[in-house]
Amino acid sequence: MKKILAMLLTMVMVFTMVSAIAEDEHVLIYGTSTEISGDFAPGAWWTNNAADAMIRELSNDCATVVMNKEGEYIVNPTVAESVEGVMNEDGTKTYTIKIKDGLVYSNGDPITIQDFVWPTAFGCSAVASEVGAKLTAYLTIEGGQAYYDGTASVISGLRILDDKTMSLQIVADKVPYFYDITYASVSAYSMKYWLGEAVTIKDDGEGVYFEGLTKDAIAATLEASRFNASESRVSTGPYKLVEFDQASKQATLVINENYNGNYEGQKPSVPKIVITRAEDATWFDAMKTGAFNFYDTITDGEQVNQAMDLIEDEDNKKALGYGFNYAQFDRPGYGKIMFQCDFGPTQFEAVRHAVALLLDRNEFANTFCQGWGGVVNGPYGSAMWMAQAAEEWLDENLNNYAYNPEAAVAELVADGWVYDENGNDYVEGIRYKKVTAEEAGNYVHTKKLDDGTYLMGLEIEWSSSEGNSVSDLLSVMLANGEQTAAAGMKINQNVMTFSELLNYMYRDATQGDKYGVPTYCMYNLASNWSTPVYDRSYDYTVDPALLAEGYNTNFIINPELDKLTMDMVYGVEAGDSDTYLEIWKQFIQLWNELLPEVPLYSNIYVSVYPDWLENYEQTSYWSFQNAIVYANIAK
Amino acid sequence: MGKYILKRCGYIVVVFLILSFLMYSLYNLIPTDPARQELEPQRKGLKADEYQMLYQQLRKEMGLDDPLVVRYLRWMGLWQDTDGTFNGVLEGNFGYSNLYKRNVVEVIQAPMGNTIFINIFSTIASLSITIPLGIYCAVHKGKRFDSATQVVTMLGYSIPVYIIALIFMYIFCVLWRVFPIMGQKTAGMEYANSWEEFVDMLYHIALPVIVMTFGSLGGMTRYVRSSMIDALSMDYIRTARAKGLKEKVVIYSHAWRNALLPVITSILGWFLGIFGGSVIIENTFSLNGMGKLYWQGLNNMDFELVLAIQMFYSIVSLVGSLLIDISYGLVDPRVRVDK
Repeated sequence: MKKILAMLLTMVMVFTMVSAIAEDEHVLIYGTSTEISGDFAPGAWWTNNAADAMIRELSNDCATVVMNKEGEYIVNPTVAESVEGVMNEDGTKTYTIKIKDGLVYSNGDPITIQDFVWPTAFGCSAVASEVGAKLTAYLTIEGGQAYYDGTASVISGLRILDDKTMSLQIVADKVPYFYDITYASVSAYSMKYWLGEAVTIKDDGEGVYFEGLTKDAIAATLEASRFNASESRVSTGPYKLVEFDQASKQATLVINENYNGNYEGQKPSVPKIVITRAEDATWFDAMKTGAFNFYDTITDGEQVNQAMDLIEDEDNKKALGYGFNYAQFDRPGYGKIMFQCDFGPTQFEAVRHAVALLLDRNEFANTFCQGWGGVVNGPYGSAMWMAQAAEEWLDENLNNYAYNPEAAVAELVADGWVYDENGNDYVEGIRYKKVTAEEAGNYVHTKKLDDGTYLMGLEIEWSSSEGNSVSDLLSVMLANGEQTAAAGMKINQNVMTFSELLNYMYRDATQGDKYGVPTYCMYNLASNWSTPVYDRSYDYTVDPALLAEGYNTNFIINPELDKLTMDMVYGVEAGDSDTYLEIWKQFIQLWNELLPEVPLYSNIYVSVYPDWLENYEQTSYWSFQNAIVYANIAK
Repeated sequence: MGKYILKRCGYIVVVFLILSFLMYSLYNLIPTDPARQELEPQRKGLKADEYQMLYQQLRKEMGLDDPLVVRYLRWMGLWQDTDGTFNGVLEGNFGYSNLYKRNVVEVIQAPMGNTIFINIFSTIASLSITIPLGIYCAVHKGKRFDSATQVVTMLGYSIPVYIIALIFMYIFCVLWRVFPIMGQKTAGMEYANSWEEFVDMLYHIALPVIVMTFGSLGGMTRYVRSSMIDALSMDYIRTARAKGLKEKVVIYSHAWRNALLPVITSILGWFLGIFGGSVIIENTFSLNGMGKLYWQGLNNMDFELVLAIQMFYSIVSLVGSLLIDISYGLVDPRVRVDK
């Protein structure tokens, strides 16, 4: 027995010694709640999970147009000598891009103009689809569709003009577009590395075309390159992906000594980043015990408070040898109640207003976010530049629907919800309203009286996804709230899987006839804008064909709302922020009146990092992969 | 015997076909649209008509508009694929993971390796504790040690494994900091050699193995104990003792061999179970194993991945039950499996 105990103790000592080796270095160990898939393609060509995207951005950064710290799209002076856009007479727009001299890959090889051109050309090739890549450049580049279909041998809108210059012509129906500078964002990827040496790209004066590009010629190389994580990987970003352990799902990145710099010429100094999996249930203990030392974008209020405890824990700091700091930033989005506005009680604006007035949104946000969040009054997040630029205007012009059950009742009464189920004057219970046959539709809570009158009950069918803490809180504070019943409203919660919820929301009859029938008039969801592009085009379309295809999931038929959302991006020249902002305000104000959704909360996010990391400044759009380039290790 | 095995193999094929159709149908009954799921991330970057065109194209490519039977036969490789080839399970294509955008076989390799590695340790550890413990308790039935073991094993049997995992994590990882809390290797570690890497891996899987072993002690100990008690009450044991045989010989040569028959079913079941990961353990300790992969497949509606895993488990179970039947004949000469 003694021998066994001694052996066990020795083993534990050996293990502890082994684990101690790693703790001596300042390695940034990034815990991610999204598992790395191992697919490191140039873009979201195949997979697009958050962890993959982050690694992709850390290891690739050689684009002609990039986003700056302020969330604006700008020409990248490190990469591009010039980017010039010219509107053509036929309504298309041509961008001419000249790249800088001396750009190199991680392995020291020079970056050529062909390396900038081929990814766009590949997106115009049917071979991309054959190998399973989701690329749609052929829909944007003039002549791309013909090349894709095989009816043209060159992509007429994509040109290599000389050793440093290329041009791309955007199809007429995509310009003018407020964000059209993003069309001129082309990134360099080594064609030799990704497609192999058998493929070349040429331009004989009429447009770009590939030679030797077939599925058989590239499939093996492309597949190997996608999943390659080693020194042989050719990339352009601040970091090189040198290892990905498939078994433990752990990726290791080290500084790329040949990095050309970001748009400000900044280069990284944190030598090594390891990205590892974090579990929601154990992340706190994992950080506390040093399994990882960086946890990005904590969204849940309770977890944020846990993180604060960790930051203040001096004993743990002594045990670990380092403490923690945090960066906080606003969520570029919001959680919401979403209405479908073409049937049932929620087709009436007064009912939508009443729901908003019956919910104490400040209390809701405070409870849900545990103090780490607030309320917005429109479809925006406080991190957006428009919201910041129009902060005062928003306060003055938007209805904040402050909790007011009496006002809710008054709105309902004014709208005609003044009857009981027999058509008599309302006294108690559920309110009813006299509606037309068209308004009644097939909604389950309507009845036809003997005299032919249609009565609709103020009974809202709510679809909520399972295991959703927002739903639980809504159920307590709204659906089962005394104020709701007292107002004569009933909200019936129907819990289902998220995919089923989407089927009902999209009215997707291909998944079953029942989904095609308007059933639930209320949903709880969230909206996020992970990039600064705020493009709501088609979201409020009134085109019946598009409605049938699942656009405008609010089913709110308001031509003005549709026009504003289309004009906001397709009616404004790129760079004309003033006009954009003006239309945005009009849209927000109209939306706030119509209230197709009730915004519930907009969180404050927190990222926790080790206290030996200095100058780490993360914001809503300036994420880890951008901010880490400026960070350094404290001396 | 050969004829019997052939007959059973025939049954296995029939059961597999029925099972595969049922499973395939069940997953296809789930109201979800893989084409929409696939295109959703791109939706904002596309104009409405472009989205519709791509959506319809994708539905066609995925064969989503074909009848269920056609899709099943296509998946099995008995019907032409949308590209005109036969490319299904029977041709060695076990499907394509929509989540990982790779062939399922490639996706499964690493988690399967991990699961087998962890489960082998856990199974061996469990059996080497439970069998001697069960025998000892049976031989010393009613004594203080037996009673105490009954209580402890009942406790281990009753407490859900995730509770055990969390308690052990708190004690060993947070309070004492003896074991790492998650993962399979120390992040950022540079190993001097593969032995060091192996030791680090052992260090990481030690606690999950301890938890799995602890969680499975109760069942098998009680099973072995009860089987041994039955065997020890037999007349031949009394005869053996009357003959003056040593107690060890009586217990291990006479009683244990006879007690082995019911136990072997469980033991073989355990060994077959090394292919199947534990959803709870792997998720709690952040281990990349089959249980976690299966869970992720289900959560992300990656049905080809889930189907492939389930079909693999079905085959393992079917082959396993055949092996168990054959082993009966080997262990107990009274059993004739070919009859």
